[in-house]
Amino acid sequence: MIADRSTAVLAHGLGGSTDLPIPLSYALIGAAWALTFTFAIVALAWRRPRFDSDKPGRPLPRRVTTLVDAPATRWAVAIAALMFAVWVAITAVFGPQDAHNPLPGVFYVLLWVGLVALSLVVGPVWRVISPVRTVHRLLGGRSLGLRYQERAGYWPAAAGLFAFVWLELASPDPGSLGAIKTWLLVYLAVTMAGALCCGDRWCARADPFEVYSMVASRLSALRRNSDGRIAIGNPFDHLPSLPVRAGTVAVLAVLLGSTVFDSFSATPQWRGFVADHTDSVATTTLLRTAGLLVFTAVVAGTFWLAARATGGVDAQRRRELPGLMAHSLIPIVIGYVFAHYLTYLVERGQQTFILLFGLGDAQVHYVLSMHPQVLASIKVGCVVAGHIAAVIAAHDSALRLLPAGHQLTGQLATMLVMVGYTFTGLYLLFGG
Amino acid sequence: MAAALITAGCGGSNSSDNASGNTSSSQPSSVGPSDMPNEQAPPTRLLVDVTIKDGKVTPTNEQLKAGVKQQIVIRVNSDAADELHVHSTPEHSFNVEAKPMQSFQFTVDVPGKVDVELHKLNQTIATIQVQ
Repeated sequence: MIADRSTAVLAHGLGGSTDLPIPLSYALIGAAWALTFTFAIVALAWRRPRFDSDKPGRPLPRRVTTLVDAPATRWAVAIAALMFAVWVAITAVFGPQDAHNPLPGVFYVLLWVGLVALSLVVGPVWRVISPVRTVHRLLGGRSLGLRYQERAGYWPAAAGLFAFVWLELASPDPGSLGAIKTWLLVYLAVTMAGALCCGDRWCARADPFEVYSMVASRLSALRRNSDGRIAIGNPFDHLPSLPVRAGTVAVLAVLLGSTVFDSFSATPQWRGFVADHTDSVATTTLLRTAGLLVFTAVVAGTFWLAARATGGVDAQRRRELPGLMAHSLIPIVIGYVFAHYLTYLVERGQQTFILLFGLGDAQVHYVLSMHPQVLASIKVGCVVAGHIAAVIAAHDSALRLLPAGHQLTGQLATMLVMVGYTFTGLYLLFGG
Repeated sequence: MAAALITAGCGGSNSSDNASGNTSSSQPSSVGPSDMPNEQAPPTRLLVDVTIKDGKVTPTNEQLKAGVKQQIVIRVNSDAADELHVHSTPEHSFNVEAKPMQSFQFTVDVPGKVDVELHKLNQTIATIQVQ
């Protein structure tokens, strides 16, 4: 077989190298801090709830709100985002059908990680930039007026998020342009059909990216006061405003479980196990799907049980507790997403823009990869900061939700589960 | 038994205690690599011996370490054509032919975990930690 010595690579997922494992000492120091903070907060911190989503933030000047809410601004941003999406579609179809196509980068980096970063800084942006919403509005915003079933809650979004992580982590060839295009077409068709049937509510509840963006935005310092004015305030006051609906815990479990599974599936032990126990693409896919499901189910199950593990509440309240506590998982999710995908966002993000806009002579700056010590510190910092924030939020919620006399014991299970998530995360970042 | 070994390529070190094939005919020298003042380019390279026979690869999932810009040589004995993918940044790809003693050489400039994969067999030969 005679061919070019070096050919373009159609890599798995995004290809390229992955982060080095963090040094053991970093993982141990991170774990020690996480544990210390957890017990310090449980044992020594405040005894009355301090955070309240009704507490108004410090309002920004009125002209900021006026500018952000002006129809001209909204339309300009929406149309710009729509044009960006159309450009991505054009390059996906007519661009090079190999590793030089920017579609995987846009899909796995800009959409999955970039959206979180953006939502964390400025709020739930997907509802402004969602191409489906923009097209729907351009069509006049009409719908058939069907009611979105309340009991569906966020379940359709959780299913959509799971479909995304399945493509990335379990499907036979996550980097395949055909697979990504098919996924996106199904997403656009389902979301458009939902918007045409049920109106905007479908987008708010069932669009996986909008729900992901909304979840991330609850940790943002920017929010709106009850009078609609944009304000800046303590993110801990913002967190409890996460809507509690059916499927809220499932959404967070998919996000955390999949990120942990991504770390886990890179360990030599798991790879060896998969290689030893499968002999075809189909069985490999099945085994990975099972792994992804198990990780998601373990996160959901442990959190659900731990949140309910308290005395002094009736059955009704006990059923509500996992949902009411769910917002405290957001910092863990976001901390771990950044620990895991920050290099992708910074370095593959640059590469994606270079490919997308044909900046062939521009160079990617490997600012993080070239400094493994700094990167390891940032990763541990993200995980530990996420953990501490989660523990603080959970402690405060426990004071608000649990009856007197059970506030200390009632939060212990949740704290232990969070320590478990963080230790597992650090262990996997260290390399398993 | 590790099929990959680090051999002294041209420094004349006496640590080449394993079969390193083609380049083990080093001259005896009184200057070891550690005595050299130039520490920027260590005169060692990472050699990975790979055998592909009857659809089986050895080794698989090997865990290796290498330095940035260190020469990495993958030596392949194969009875089938395949593609060798090196998932470094940027990536390398080599065509493997059905013949013994093919050598593929590359260096990695950006630190990270680099997978070396056989594309058609869909097997990971080794993961190299480059730092």
